[in-house]
Amino acid sequence: MRQWREAPSPLAVFGKCGNLDLLVAVDAAAERLGLTAGLALAQARAMHPALTAMPEDQAADARLLEALADWCQRYTPLLAADPPDGILLDIGGCAHLFGGEEKLRDDLLARMTGFGFTARAAIAASIGAASAAARFSEAAITPTDDERDLLGPLPLAALRLSSDTVAALARVGLKRIGDILDLPRAPLAARFGAELLRMLDRALGREYEPLTPRLPVAPYIAEKNFHEPIAREEDVLATVERLATRLKAALAVRGDGARRLELALFRTDGVVKRIAAGTSRPVRDPQAIRALFVERLAALGDEIDPGFGFDLARLSVTIAEPCPDEQIGLGGHEDQAELDRLVDRLSARLGRRRVSRLVAHDSHIPELAVAALPAQAMARAELGWEAFRRFRVQADLSPRPLRFLARPEPIEDVFALVPDGPPVRFRWRRALHEVIAVEGPERIEGAWWSEEGGPARDYFRVEDKAGLRFWLFRAGLYRDMARALPRPRWFLHGMYA
Amino acid sequence: MGTPARSAFCSPAGAPAVLDRLRRELCAAEAATGLTPDGGAALGLGISAIDGVLSGGLGCGALHEIAAAHETETAAATGFALALAARQALPSCESAARTGASAVSTRITGRYLLWIAEDFSLAENGAPYGPGLDGAGIAPERLITVTAARDRDVLWAMEEALRCRAVGVVIGEMRSRGIDQVMTRRLALAAAAGDTLGLLLRTTPHDEPSAAATRWIIGTAPSFPRAGGGDERSHGLGPPRLTARLVRNRRGHLGAWIVEWNSVEQRFELATHSEPLAGTAFDRPHRAAVA
Repeated sequence: MRQWREAPSPLAVFGKCGNLDLLVAVDAAAERLGLTAGLALAQARAMHPALTAMPEDQAADARLLEALADWCQRYTPLLAADPPDGILLDIGGCAHLFGGEEKLRDDLLARMTGFGFTARAAIAASIGAASAAARFSEAAITPTDDERDLLGPLPLAALRLSSDTVAALARVGLKRIGDILDLPRAPLAARFGAELLRMLDRALGREYEPLTPRLPVAPYIAEKNFHEPIAREEDVLATVERLATRLKAALAVRGDGARRLELALFRTDGVVKRIAAGTSRPVRDPQAIRALFVERLAALGDEIDPGFGFDLARLSVTIAEPCPDEQIGLGGHEDQAELDRLVDRLSARLGRRRVSRLVAHDSHIPELAVAALPAQAMARAELGWEAFRRFRVQADLSPRPLRFLARPEPIEDVFALVPDGPPVRFRWRRALHEVIAVEGPERIEGAWWSEEGGPARDYFRVEDKAGLRFWLFRAGLYRDMARALPRPRWFLHGMYA
Repeated sequence: MGTPARSAFCSPAGAPAVLDRLRRELCAAEAATGLTPDGGAALGLGISAIDGVLSGGLGCGALHEIAAAHETETAAATGFALALAARQALPSCESAARTGASAVSTRITGRYLLWIAEDFSLAENGAPYGPGLDGAGIAPERLITVTAARDRDVLWAMEEALRCRAVGVVIGEMRSRGIDQVMTRRLALAAAAGDTLGLLLRTTPHDEPSAAATRWIIGTAPSFPRAGGGDERSHGLGPPRLTARLVRNRRGHLGAWIVEWNSVEQRFELATHSEPLAGTAFDRPHRAAVA
């Protein structure tokens, strides 16, 4: 898998093993020269001075494997990368879509070869057997119950055991899986650990081994194959609409609507482009889904590089929610629906977190009293302003600023007539402000129950000579300095009209 | 259109009706270009002096530019824009605020307010603060805030929002940069199409050509101190005052006023306590120029 067609030959990749540089992979030409993985680099260079040797890059290998696994999603959504060099695909129930297991395997191998990889593939009823067959045998398809015959002649390393266990088994003369198949289990487990028997059972299909998929499997999926790859944006959008029409039927059967959708575009050269879009209410309407992707594609612009075209498009509903059947009518609902569409469009183009609603929180600390949450998620939620209004009337809160700095800005050169009194002048952003009118202080206690609560704050509304109105606060008190508390600091927190 | 009009002119009795009809046709033709925002109702500020200059008030389905006289005065310009928004989009909330404490149990209805702002402007001038908006007569339930990294996205989002019928007011906040006249024309057309009030909130004044119906420059003015309180520094803040300069108006004259926010009735009033005469020309040269 690490061998590329265009690379110079003979080629070997080496990695560090302790203090030693060992070859970890060799290409076909190097193999013909008698080099193998595990040979010391110095020895290999001495044998063949023309050898091109490159250091290994495990992170890049892992990324490549992930990208390939992504591409393999075209065969089944249930798959997992099996580092360092394998991919596990659960093709139960989807082989017939490709004309049977044989055809699926041929197709996979042909495409992998086309990308320039040397790949081996095997199909078996258990993960262990398939992995052993792909790496250590020529068997293409192993029918259920034939695992014994398949595994018997293979070396014990095929069971995915640790190298220590394999070495320990080799010391007592157990080299092949066949050697341990019929041995009494208790002594084996006692001497070599339960792991050995578990891996054996898993390979033989006696114990079920679950496959953890890389990505959660979407509840609704529709896909379309193209004999002639598509590249134009209009074609992609038309495909989205066609797939959405198919999804609509499936969603309607279960009374669901899509809250989050993902469009996966499989490029002919193996790159997979994924585009996600969210909605603020469950939708089924293909037109609405198409409109979302219009904005997403516009926002992505050149990032969606079609290259030589996409040969498979898959639209999946990653989050579905119950959706009441379409209703026609009353004015208010129409308006709400129109607003939802606007929010969806804006969120699709600008990003979900950029379109928000203000939610009131039950906190007396000004920066915690309100939060901006994604409007799509909050479309039907209670925002809590009623409670805030009740609180404001009860507590007789002083007016709050219109604009608020998320991070209070320190102000300097604060001059006050009495240490804990209101400021007379202060400097903010290098400009000096002369205070002519003040209201306050309003004492707001810090979160005294928490370690990071901070000191109490005294808030002042001030107006300067030019009529600018600010919300300032002093964190801490001067008189507390006697108790060796830090010096109070002044901040500007907001502006009034 | 030409022939029937000419025949009607022959009879003097029909002339006023024909003139009226022609005026209406002209208005319709101009409205289609987005130049005269006559479509939609007029939104009065509640101050007869200003409403007179605006011949009734600001066009509702139109674009208006509101600029802060200086970047530090952005909050004042925001306050002016929000006061307009409160008059336009949120009638029930306004009446609720008028009755004071009973605001608590009011049902909030009306069209939505979209506040679209550039990231940089929010970082520099502060983000809209829910509790403060609530106090200024804007129900935070009806507010949707949108942030955008680029001014291009702000303009795009504004156009989308202006066309939406569920939205009553769109505030688009941008830091200094010239806006293409074609873009303001598009916004004006979108505002007319959606019958939405579009407010372009800018942090510094600009004088480039624009399709906006009016252009305002808003600054702060010292408030008149509240009565009572002996020491000069101990008196509280009076009602906030703004200087509002109308520097561009497609429907009439220009003007400059000092207005005061009446928090009880939730509306602007002309400031009744005028500044000392000698001070006017010195620290407010624009007033001298306009007068």
